[in-house]
Amino acid sequence: MSAFIKRRPFSTVLLIIVVALAALAWVNRVHLAAFPGIIGALSAKEYCSCRYVMDNEAGYCKSYVKQIIPISGFFDDEANKRVTARGLGSTQTAQWKSQREGCQLLPQAAELPAGSN
Amino acid sequence: MPAPAFRRLSLALGLLCSLPPAFAETWPAADWAVAPVPASPAVAALEAYAFPQRDDDSRKGVRTDALLVIRDGQIIYERYAGPTKASTPHLAWSVSKSLMATTLGVAYGKGLFRLDDPVAKFYPPMSQHADIKIGHLLNWASGLDWQEGYEYAPVKSSVVAMLYTRGRTDMAAFTASFGQAATPGTRFLYSSGDANLLSAALRGMVGTEAYKNYPWTALFEPLGITSAVWETDAAGTFVGSSYAYLTARDLARVGLLMERDGRWGEQQLVPKAWVDFNRTPFANYQPSKETEGDAIPGGQWWLNAPIAGAAKPWPDAPDETFAALGHWGQALYVLPKENLVIVRYADDRDHSYSHDELLKLAQAAFVPAVQNREAK
Repeated sequence: MSAFIKRRPFSTVLLIIVVALAALAWVNRVHLAAFPGIIGALSAKEYCSCRYVMDNEAGYCKSYVKQIIPISGFFDDEANKRVTARGLGSTQTAQWKSQREGCQLLPQAAELPAGSN
Repeated sequence: MPAPAFRRLSLALGLLCSLPPAFAETWPAADWAVAPVPASPAVAALEAYAFPQRDDDSRKGVRTDALLVIRDGQIIYERYAGPTKASTPHLAWSVSKSLMATTLGVAYGKGLFRLDDPVAKFYPPMSQHADIKIGHLLNWASGLDWQEGYEYAPVKSSVVAMLYTRGRTDMAAFTASFGQAATPGTRFLYSSGDANLLSAALRGMVGTEAYKNYPWTALFEPLGITSAVWETDAAGTFVGSSYAYLTARDLARVGLLMERDGRWGEQQLVPKAWVDFNRTPFANYQPSKETEGDAIPGGQWWLNAPIAGAAKPWPDAPDETFAALGHWGQALYVLPKENLVIVRYADDRDHSYSHDELLKLAQAAFVPAVQNREAK
């Protein structure tokens, strides 16, 4: 063991880091699994409310929901007041429901039309 | 003075005093009475602070969307910026928590619950936390192992998971699934989960059918509020933590209700005892070096109370000041002795905005005693 460490000091350090990272990921697996959904969900929901509850303009709402991590797809289905956004590989949809209820994230995302961003 | 004349005088005085106080008060009807204060250097100083040149690209600095000031039940100042107009139902973020507390106040007045009722009595999924009482939730003292912070640790933030990912279909159930980190009632820990448990408990108190419109029938309609939107999760529970929307003028109505101890005109809509509870610091709150400048938690409202030897959070505002506060600078301030209600909506993306600074400038502009002092 100590002979290996002496012979391969850098590999040993690297190995320890990899193992530590794997352990950290395992401990936080529930959080990490959910994480990619955040950007799409936040963008879709807050855009929907900005546009259809607060009645702000589309251009303003797009900049209002802008995050550090960019979205890779976006579609505002104005006829149905349904907003779909994609970020970190996850697509999410929010739907305007009624005057009092405002917007809500849907369990199933709508399909993004080709080339929408 | 002869005795009979004296008696008659005291009788007349007594009669005058017994007139309902509403007699001399101004209340908003369908809309507010408007009596704008004249322009002054103090108003200009307030505007310079609240409405600097707005940069929508960098989003830096103080970015006020709406500033509305009510004195003695009338609008004396009102200004909007950015996309926000008088007709915009603006997102209140965590101001929603205080709105939920005031909605609960109506149910409290009807005797539908007590502060020491277990939450599980009204929301069965909390039976695994049988010791958590309604009062604990109102003080943000459930003791649940919650992580509110989102700006620095978005991966592990409980509130981000609740609103956008794992918790979004049923936010109260998501919160109830958390472990216990402290004995209920012993520790303040700001938690949006606690607010949504209150929202779910309200359904158990009033019944599923009445719940759907309860914030409107109990609170908004009696106050003449017409703009309110309150989004729900997929389980139909109002997102009591975050998602109420009202125009500034409508939010100010809740402020006036609170300024006048729960009374609206001649109706005691919310018991005074409930408002007193909202305005009482959580008994086990421990101010520390880290919490310096943080408002003091009451019953889902925030207080400027000097407690446990610590300085009050907003040194330039009166001790009695209380507020509903939300993400990105949303605020409803009530200064009861000055008869002032101030609504501020904003889109502050950094931490440059200061409650104390705004309240200091607003008092200089709108409180007659302070105005006179400054003028001398």
